[in-house]
Amino acid sequence: MDALAYGVTRRVLLPVTSVLALLLVWEAAVRALDLAPFVLPAPSRVAQAAVRTADVLPAHVATTLAEAVLGLLLGAVAGTLLALGVVLRPRVGDALEPLVLLTQTVPTVVLAPLLILWAGFGLLPKVLLVALTVFFPVFVSATSAMRSADTDLLDVVAGLGGHARDQLVIVRLPGAVTGAVAGLRVAATYTVGAAVVAEYLAGQSGLGVFIQRSRKAYAVDQILVGVIAVALLTALLVGAVGLIERAATPWRPRAASTPASSRHLTSEIP
Amino acid sequence: MTTFPGTDRHDRRGGVLAEADRLTVGVRGGTGPTILDDVALSVRAGEFVAVVGPSGCGKSTLLRAMAGLLPPSLVASGGARIDVATGGGRRDVAWMPQRDGLLPWRRAWSNALLGARIAGRDVAASEVRAAELFERFGLAGAERRWPHELSGGMRRRLALLRTVLADRRLLLLDEPFSGLDALTRRRMNSWLSDLDLVGTSTRGSAVVLVTHDVDEAVLLADRVLVMSGPPGRVVDSVATRKGGDGQARRRLLELLGV
Ligand SMILES: Nc1ncnc2c1ncn2[C@@H]1O[C@H](COP(=O)(O)OP(=O)(O)OP(=O)(O)O)[C@@H](O)[C@H]1O
Ligand SMILES: [Mg+2]
Repeated sequence: MDALAYGVTRRVLLPVTSVLALLLVWEAAVRALDLAPFVLPAPSRVAQAAVRTADVLPAHVATTLAEAVLGLLLGAVAGTLLALGVVLRPRVGDALEPLVLLTQTVPTVVLAPLLILWAGFGLLPKVLLVALTVFFPVFVSATSAMRSADTDLLDVVAGLGGHARDQLVIVRLPGAVTGAVAGLRVAATYTVGAAVVAEYLAGQSGLGVFIQRSRKAYAVDQILVGVIAVALLTALLVGAVGLIERAATPWRPRAASTPASSRHLTSEIP
Repeated sequence: MTTFPGTDRHDRRGGVLAEADRLTVGVRGGTGPTILDDVALSVRAGEFVAVVGPSGCGKSTLLRAMAGLLPPSLVASGGARIDVATGGGRRDVAWMPQRDGLLPWRRAWSNALLGARIAGRDVAASEVRAAELFERFGLAGAERRWPHELSGGMRRRLALLRTVLADRRLLLLDEPFSGLDALTRRRMNSWLSDLDLVGTSTRGSAVVLVTHDVDEAVLLADRVLVMSGPPGRVVDSVATRKGGDGQARRRLLELLGV
């Protein structure tokens, strides 16, 4: 019981208190300094804006969520497959390695204008941008997990009469899954942001479009509504990836399986 | 060639399962020290051979050489000869590492069947045998657990079970019970001596057990090879009567200089 109460205090009570305190200070400061709403609206005004836009917002959220999820899946699959190819065919790996490193030096959002130029104004360029953002961390961590497979385990397989193929299937591939999922967890935090940046440039729907329109109307309260929606969506995705990670690695001791940050995020999502 | 005579009374089938001669192992590239120096040994079917020696004298390296698992940084010299029984185009050997080497993402049951799977044994038959061995190894009820949910002693027994279940003729065990507390270790040893590992295979098998515990060696083995080093050399071979032999024990302690 005590442990449960302690957990509730730490995970629910304390965070909620600090958020409420921040909102109160914000509200009080805006009123005391009499700030104009187009500079910084009070939280109460932001809440009103959220209610006002409640009928258009879901469509924008749905668009951005679809882009983020599709991109996440596409990038994860592509990253894992290429990692497998590189490890299975070391020569391909040697040839691709510098290219991959080179492309890593370009932040993917920088490519957004190019993708829009090539793939039009619809969903596709945004999905591609998210996929590119996800691809690299997944590829890099899956590759290194397979390469740096525990030599003790490789030796065990060989010591029982296994060949390189057995080592691959029994030791390296499970390592690829754990590596890919770890990369996915890193990537998940960027996905919604990448989709929104692409939407800033072009598009008819999405949180990026919503924020851009609000900016043109000087509706700072609506911009903040959009920002909060982006934050919540990101938390949702990170939480979902955390669940996937747990499902993909059921063998891990619980405490060590999710780092503190994502555990908090998942526990705060209703 | 200097092989040490086996104790014939334990020699059930006669065949030599492993034989090494002029086995010299050094660091690749010729730099660094010699790790094994002109080692010769032969292991016959039906034998339980222990290898004792001080830490760092090359026991694990000797076992790895027999298993064909020398790390890339080590190399056997040109004149070295090491013959190991083969079956189905592979070394007929199952090696158990000094650390247990269990796959963390497989449950105990699946870890146990790893050797049998790699060896291409009949799955149904292996599972029947596995169920029987789980019972005998005191692991019944732990089949569905993950390795991290097992105690140190259980992990070692599971690793040993996996090695036995591969059904190879030559078992190479590298300090199967090192790192366990004295009490657990003693229990493991008396249990292992009851187990009759040499008799577990249907085809006449042998065990090579590395240890630096003289009592363990005397209790379990028919014959004890004493190593010194580095560089690792086999300095003597002492026959023991199974189940405790005071005279052999004294001789071994004397050879090891303790
Ligand atoms: N890969 C390697 N490269 C270079 N030297 C090595 C390598 N492996 C082992 N050695 C050296 O070979 C010697 C023998 O090592 P080995 O592990 O065989 O000893 P051991 O008798 O098993 O010791 P312990 O009882 O502590 O397990 C040691 O001096 C070690 O430093
Ligand atoms: Mg050793």
